[in-house]
Amino acid sequence: MTLQFIADGLISGSLIGLGAIGITLTYSILRFSNFAHGDLMAWGAYGTLAVVGGIGEVVGGAAPIGALSFGWPLILAALAGMVMTACLALLLDWLLFARLREKGQSIIVVMASFGASMALRSLLEFIFSSSPAYYSRGIQMAMPIGFGIRITPDQIVLLGVTVVLVTAMHLFMSRSQTGREMRAYSQNPALARVVGIDVSGVVRATWIIGAALACAAGVMVGILVQIRPLMGLDLLLPMFAAAILGGIGSVPGAVLGGLIIGLSEAAAVQLIGAEWRSAVAFGILMAVLLVRPVGLFGRAER
Amino acid sequence: MSILQVKGLVAGYEPGLSIVKGASIQADEREIVVILGPNGAGKSSLIKAVAGLVPVTGGQVLLDGRDITHGAAHLRVRQGLAFVPQTENIFPLMTVDENLRVAGGVLARCEVQGRIDETYVMFPDLARQRRLAAGSLSGGQRQMLAVGRALIVHPRVLMLDEPSAGLSPKFVEMVFARLGEIRRAGLTIVLVEQNARAALAIGDRAYVLVEGREAHEGRAATLWDDPVVAELYLGQRRSA
Ligand SMILES: Nc1ncnc2c1ncn2[C@@H]1O[C@H](COP(=O)(O)OP(=O)(O)O)[C@@H](O)[C@H]1O
Ligand SMILES: [Mg+2]
Repeated sequence: MTLQFIADGLISGSLIGLGAIGITLTYSILRFSNFAHGDLMAWGAYGTLAVVGGIGEVVGGAAPIGALSFGWPLILAALAGMVMTACLALLLDWLLFARLREKGQSIIVVMASFGASMALRSLLEFIFSSSPAYYSRGIQMAMPIGFGIRITPDQIVLLGVTVVLVTAMHLFMSRSQTGREMRAYSQNPALARVVGIDVSGVVRATWIIGAALACAAGVMVGILVQIRPLMGLDLLLPMFAAAILGGIGSVPGAVLGGLIIGLSEAAAVQLIGAEWRSAVAFGILMAVLLVRPVGLFGRAER
Repeated sequence: MSILQVKGLVAGYEPGLSIVKGASIQADEREIVVILGPNGAGKSSLIKAVAGLVPVTGGQVLLDGRDITHGAAHLRVRQGLAFVPQTENIFPLMTVDENLRVAGGVLARCEVQGRIDETYVMFPDLARQRRLAAGSLSGGQRQMLAVGRALIVHPRVLMLDEPSAGLSPKFVEMVFARLGEIRRAGLTIVLVEQNARAALAIGDRAYVLVEGREAHEGRAATLWDDPVVAELYLGQRRSA
């Protein structure tokens, strides 16, 4: 047995955690389970791919940065992709979710998100085909870092990026006025209006943040694994498990939940076999719902 | 000159089921207006409708002559109308400081800290607990926090729904003393209260709401002795 699963688990866990932030915010603020969240991830990855292609057309290829598999065009494209994914989420909200939310039945919004998920996925398959795509064709060498663990330069850098994003997100939620308003609204929507909080601003911020982080996670999956229309759907269950394990509404909880799910999956793959990977998230989800439904950082409703 | 005028307001939670059935009240500048009435009369619903939280199907709400009947709740705060709900009037998972700060969103950024400091001068108890989760405060302190937060924006009209409910006598006395100070600072207060004697003692104008409509109106000082009012509502409490 080696400790390789720790590195693998931390990396996939941090991506799950990034995605779970959007799920936990959507659930606690907009009050529905967004099953289309994984597809925002895939759209972000493909949107970024399209922009990378566009940059390549205009300026020609760019050399990778140092030992990484990608160069500055991918970084720029990922930023553009985050903006595009946020716009897509706002569009979906305007077209679909806002109208249904007004009617006040959350189960209808959830069903609509199923529909949106299918539509978004089919559209991706239609535009980009269902065969996998890659940001770069290069193969990276994994370096030994001791204890029998090997890790690639891409993995190290993306772990760092995740730490930065999660820290920024935590500071935003705890220190900024918009973050405070989002937390206030999730605790008591009526009181939030009483203290002068503009609900539409909170809703917008929730979509923008969730979608931008989903795109970031999608691009990272694209860099480390591959880009496929189904990539988001595959991560949906682990992301929900992470959000619920961490406690709905908690950003640090979602990230910690993601890491736990990622590490457990990687351990299961190494110890039992790869075919058990997807059972792990499901098992953890069930256990949390039965034993501690409010999750690690969750608090019982009023 | 009336700063707040409510004219024949009709409001309810579900379509076709009015709870407030044509209520009219008014408040002049620097007045304390007391709204009394039996349980279920619709006092909370009336004040929530004025705050913009209950759908209005008829009548008008005028703030300083301006029609705000159908404006969004969050805009009324900016226009100078603040509201302290009876229950769930703080954000329990946020600290005392954050509870105040989050309400400062309608202010210019540079004003916020000054207003928070002002609140701490007014309620020293809160200053000592500014880093604690608001959910861990006692009932009286929560009420102070809710009032302090409503005052952060320097509203012109402050509406409170039973601020003394469930408090110990010491805090009840303190709440009423603070309301007196707030009025002296130039605010208009609309006060829904079960504690009729204490409310009428500091009130100027008073209404008795029965079945979603004002059944009686008068000077607060004389309402207590009014035989009509005694018959309508106060009688049973006075003998109690
Ligand atoms: N959120 C609500 N949804 C539906 N009905 C409500 C709601 N709140 C109060 N009511 C109803 O409105 C009526 C008046 O209640 P309320 O305004 O709280 O009276 P009061 O404050 O005078 O005791 C009651 O019959 C109550 O059942
Ligand atoms: Mg009431």
